[in-house]
Amino acid sequence: MDTDKKFQQIIEQLNYIRDILAGKNNENLRLLSSRLEDMQSRLPSMNQEERLAAAESLDDLFSFVEKKLEAELTPMDKVRIVRHPQRICLRDILENVYDNYTEIGSMNEHSIDPAILIARAYITRRQGKKTLRQSVMVIGQEKGHGEEIRNGGSVKPWGNAKALHYMKVAETENIPIHIYVFTPGSYPIEDTPGAAQQIAKNIYEMGSLRVPVLAIFSEGGSGGAEAVGLADKRLMLSHGYYSVISPEGAAAIEANLKESKRRAPAELIEDCARNLCITAEDNLRLGYIDEIIQEPVLGARCHNFEFFRQLRQDVLRATDEIVLSVRGIEPIRSMSLRARRKKTSEGGLNLETVCMRWNLSAAAQERLLDLRHRKFRALSQKAHDDTRGRLQLFKDHLSSFWWEFSSYFKYDLFRRSQQNFSNFLRELHSETTFFVKKQTVPLRRFLRPLLPLFRVRRKRHLEEAKLTALSTWEEPQEQRGGNWAYVSPRATDDRAISCPNAATHGCLDMWAPDLFGEFAGVCANCGHHFPMEYKWYLYNLFDPESVTEFNTGIEAINPLKYPGFDLKLAKASAQTGQKSSCMTFEASINGIRLVVAMFLAPFRGGSVGAAEGEKFILAAERAGKKRYPFLAYVHGTAGIRIQEGTNGLIQMPRCTMAVRRYIDDGGLYLVVYDTNSYAGPVASFLGCSPYQFGIRSSNIGFAGYGVIRETTGEAPPPHYHNVFKAMARGHIQGIWDRRETRFNLYQAMLTMGGRNLYYQ
Amino acid sequence: MLDISALLDEIKASPYQESSILAPHSGVLSLSPDLAPGSRVQGPHGPWKEKPGTLLACLEREHNRKEIRAPENCEIVSCNLEASGTFVEAGTVLARARHKLSREEVLQILLKKALFLFLAPEKARYYFIPQVDLKVKNSPPKSVSVYNGMDLFIISRMKRESSLSYSGPDGVIYAVYFSFNSNMEAGSPLIGVCPPDMVRQIEEVSLRVQTEWQEPGEA
Amino acid sequence: MDLHEHKVLIANRGEIAIRILKACRKLGLEFVCVHTQEDHASGHVRLARGLGGSKSLYRISSYHDANELMAVADESGATAIHPGYGFFSEDYRFARRVIQREREMIFIGPSWRIIRELGDKINTKRLARSLDVPTVPGSDRPIYDEMEAEELARTLFNFQTDNQIRNPLVLIKASAGGGGMGIEEVHDPDLFRSVYRRVRNYAARQFKDEGVLIEQRIRDFNHLEVQILADRNCKTLVHFGTRNCSIQSTGLQKRLEVAPGFDPSSVSYNFDAAGVLEQIIRHSLNIAHKVRYDNAGTWEWIVTREGNPYLMEVNARIQVENGVSSAITRIRGQEGVDLLVEQIRTGLGDPLGYTQEDISFEGVSLEYRIIAEDPEQRFTPWVGRIERFHQPEEPWLTMHSHVPTDEPYDIPTEFDPNLALGIIWGRDLQEARGRGLSFLKKMILEGRTAQGEPMKTNLEFLKKKTGDILKF
Repeated sequence: MDTDKKFQQIIEQLNYIRDILAGKNNENLRLLSSRLEDMQSRLPSMNQEERLAAAESLDDLFSFVEKKLEAELTPMDKVRIVRHPQRICLRDILENVYDNYTEIGSMNEHSIDPAILIARAYITRRQGKKTLRQSVMVIGQEKGHGEEIRNGGSVKPWGNAKALHYMKVAETENIPIHIYVFTPGSYPIEDTPGAAQQIAKNIYEMGSLRVPVLAIFSEGGSGGAEAVGLADKRLMLSHGYYSVISPEGAAAIEANLKESKRRAPAELIEDCARNLCITAEDNLRLGYIDEIIQEPVLGARCHNFEFFRQLRQDVLRATDEIVLSVRGIEPIRSMSLRARRKKTSEGGLNLETVCMRWNLSAAAQERLLDLRHRKFRALSQKAHDDTRGRLQLFKDHLSSFWWEFSSYFKYDLFRRSQQNFSNFLRELHSETTFFVKKQTVPLRRFLRPLLPLFRVRRKRHLEEAKLTALSTWEEPQEQRGGNWAYVSPRATDDRAISCPNAATHGCLDMWAPDLFGEFAGVCANCGHHFPMEYKWYLYNLFDPESVTEFNTGIEAINPLKYPGFDLKLAKASAQTGQKSSCMTFEASINGIRLVVAMFLAPFRGGSVGAAEGEKFILAAERAGKKRYPFLAYVHGTAGIRIQEGTNGLIQMPRCTMAVRRYIDDGGLYLVVYDTNSYAGPVASFLGCSPYQFGIRSSNIGFAGYGVIRETTGEAPPPHYHNVFKAMARGHIQGIWDRRETRFNLYQAMLTMGGRNLYYQ
Repeated sequence: MLDISALLDEIKASPYQESSILAPHSGVLSLSPDLAPGSRVQGPHGPWKEKPGTLLACLEREHNRKEIRAPENCEIVSCNLEASGTFVEAGTVLARARHKLSREEVLQILLKKALFLFLAPEKARYYFIPQVDLKVKNSPPKSVSVYNGMDLFIISRMKRESSLSYSGPDGVIYAVYFSFNSNMEAGSPLIGVCPPDMVRQIEEVSLRVQTEWQEPGEA
Repeated sequence: MDLHEHKVLIANRGEIAIRILKACRKLGLEFVCVHTQEDHASGHVRLARGLGGSKSLYRISSYHDANELMAVADESGATAIHPGYGFFSEDYRFARRVIQREREMIFIGPSWRIIRELGDKINTKRLARSLDVPTVPGSDRPIYDEMEAEELARTLFNFQTDNQIRNPLVLIKASAGGGGMGIEEVHDPDLFRSVYRRVRNYAARQFKDEGVLIEQRIRDFNHLEVQILADRNCKTLVHFGTRNCSIQSTGLQKRLEVAPGFDPSSVSYNFDAAGVLEQIIRHSLNIAHKVRYDNAGTWEWIVTREGNPYLMEVNARIQVENGVSSAITRIRGQEGVDLLVEQIRTGLGDPLGYTQEDISFEGVSLEYRIIAEDPEQRFTPWVGRIERFHQPEEPWLTMHSHVPTDEPYDIPTEFDPNLALGIIWGRDLQEARGRGLSFLKKMILEGRTAQGEPMKTNLEFLKKKTGDILKF
């Protein structure tokens, strides 16, 4: 009987290998299956002992071949390992790594979202007689070995909201958070509050969680991973993947399969998986994870108890290290950290027997946040080109220092004393006028009856003139009557244009020169906004001649050497004259200076990569130092630039944290969406702003129609991403007419924002 | 009492409706080459009627090519082939099409006989007053009630607007017969109202149509 | 291109379409008419069918759709478009499109820049003031500052009190507004601030512009007009005298117009009426010269009881009441002047051919606007079928109407309710009045609604008002 079971296991193992190789014609696999078949055919004629021996030899052969296969695993094989129902899942980890746990808010399908699992757990450590129970908040996606209710770990917006809620609980309780990332991506629906909006909120809040956060990545699928994955330390399982998009998704885009139901060929998917650099080694090399946790051959499965033991050690060590890196006084802190690292690596330290508390003092919390921000700030520096010369860099550094320094004097020190001084003057003035009035009473009493004789005639004449003569009008608004500083080149076609709402609103066709000229691309009847060039905004939103661009030297590159992408970049650059899709500049509106990061739809769909992220962060920092309002004008963005892989994806937390710092320092961060804004950027540094506005007729959302249909199996209704829907969901705070954007921006700067704006 | 059976039989005797497809405005016409008498065309479809109907013709005016698509599933009876390639005036008949009445249409025909109809007192454009308009547009059908003397419509004619109150039995609006910006002749029905005591009868009509009228395409 | 080679698209309906059509015929020009499905029985359609050749009548989807007009113009080979009044007559975008499209045509009206310049009331007011033309006391640019607004209002109240105006009134209106929205009156200086803030906030929310205009509200005035005509490039500029359009319905719609604007020879005024007329003509010409006005247009004035004229606005188009000016005008002593003919001729590029010295005025002319409406019920339009329509024939009478006299006519509900214009000429005011009354008496207009109720007209109202003509 024992051998039957053994054979059964071997058959299952063979099936597993077959699954992972996904029908690829593999010599080793053929060898294994033929040997197994051979053995099985001879089995009835064997006695017990022979059977045992046969099983053993087969086992040996399997182990040998598996090792060989392990060395040859392609990135796509790893994707299949991670997605395999036998792959360890979060519940297995809770059972095997922690000593005790309670699930919070879920009981199989009875959960707000069965794809997310939250548990309070503890690990017991003993040092001598001392026993220490170390509580942690465990949060992660549960794939449930392929249970349908889990949606494969694809979390709905409210699931992510629940995750955030319990992160905040952990913060209150001052216990570390252990995040396990097991998600192919977020569930792409816009039901309140919307996937993008919730992920943005999560990242924004996680940037400043005041407790240690440790993340372990098994399956890190783009936005879904970032929704929980912002951590002080990020470990990754050796067979996991961490990617901006699924290889299938990338292949579909590559093959341009947008709306059709055809699937991309398998080879293309394999290529994409490789080109996207999604494996643990890739991500370690790029710096987006800190360490790799070695898994058993062909990936960790439930029965690999040795692996769980290892995982427990790694989790303990990583959490200890986060705590140690911020606790105590600086020289001692680093010394003890170094000593520990040495000891553990030599294998001399059993972490089970080291007692260490994981709660943090207020000062340590501050250091934790500072470290976390610096950690992310330093990422992806090699993934863009910086053509600013040494001299320019030096100048930039110098002026950056000067802004900080002068802002402090101008707005903090000087203004406060100036206010005191002017208060003093005002009081002095009122005192003296009172005194003077009192002294001159007799004189004025004598003069009063005579005064009108001199004055009235002259005054009458003057007043009448004021009512009937031409007055001087110093600033007639340039834009009165559709007199725009920039007019779309489409305004030269002699043709009529139909409004898409004509059937429902009875709009008449408009003449292109009227529509794209004077009407600024707005239907005169229903107010539908036709998309306009970004230059329209550049020249019509800001005071004339006030735009000065900076950091033009930071340029988008092809950091992963993604095949064919250099050419595409060069083409985008030639078409637009830009070196990245993000243009950063200073400008003014009615005299108020502000910093603007503008995402340009014509450059690679306004996609965001490392260069765009870096420019955005530098702009936010500049705005902070100069105490300017900061505007993100999204002329359009298709999402994160997939060809940059995790280099692009990591901009989600990076930029969000920069914005968070800026807002916490009392700035005003405004976001204006135009045309179409989707995916990563909306689900992070754009969507996190408390003041987001949409230009009419724009679309805002997480995923496009095709992706939604593919993932959820249902086509969303028309106008699903429309700006009015986004407003109803609570995503944006207002809808602006294009022609009134300048006025509305000015109004926003006057009425919104924090305490540290230079003009307030 | 309404004799539903008789009415249904009457409709069944001539179950087709023929209508003209007109040029919405002037321009140079090009009829779709697939269009011929006897060809079947499809109206807007999809879960939200978001997929456009079959292309019937293109009308080009001021360098703007506009597609004219089938408004509903129907069969082309005749088409104005001579006009293709020439300049046509607004309102020119492009084709005539017929379709078998759908269940909804049959129901509407019967309802028009069963409901209390409030008629347009004069030729004009009619609108609901804004509060009612919002209700009619945003609430589920058959949920807006009216009472005798209620301020209900705005009449617009000669560039002037005045209000018109509803007169008739209290009840619920079951059908609206006027559309935005279209001119209604005096005496044509504006709304169909179902008084509470008629609900049962109306439900019966609806049920009978559901069971007795076969949709085209059903066995 | 020779004048006679032109073909004019008449982008209008009703009586003005008929008048333009007839003017084209007088000039020997080809024409094209358009009509909508609903308007197929209108007189201009029948006339066009009767008089025009092929390609002279087209059915369009709407008179308001410029694309239809352009498409018909191209198809019919029209070389010029006459917009009439209303519709596209003062739409500078339409005028611009006519001349800037690939197949360009002539827009019979002032050039688009002039329409745009004079279409903006603030602009017109500032232009007037820059030429020392009197305008309504108050601001001539949007006011954004509260202090400035209050100061201005205070001055306006004082100004009115100083000029012995009882119950002074100040008007606050949103500068970006229009169509009567965002306008409020203030009668008490103490209330000014709160009303001002209300208007300003309304303007900010509604028009995204906080600017307001603050003006004296004038209640007691006569409405006068100066008729101007110039040829292209403003080579010659003349006026065709003045009109008085003070007799209006409650909705401030004109019902009875008279030329000339005042008649000091038979009516006494407590100001120098001849002087005022001379003054408003001079000012109007002054502005027309300044903007290089290049077609027919009307300068609208109000004249207060004290005899102060203020320029209100410029209507850069032909007006309904142009006929009364034609009736009293003599060119080189000849009668039979037709302003529409003059407008089309000069619009197509013909030089005017005479100067102001060649123009003289003779007699008094009235124009009655005969409308199916109920003057008792705030001039509510009457809709129904006209069964009998008979107009008297007199040498001193010109009728303009699109209503058929030989068959019943259903009044379309889409358009202005004018049914007919009766233009009367008399040697003096007394004769004109007498002829007017006799015309109204002989006029037959009968009809019924769908419900069988008899037709309502404003004939009685016009009879009553004939006695008040030109009296202040």
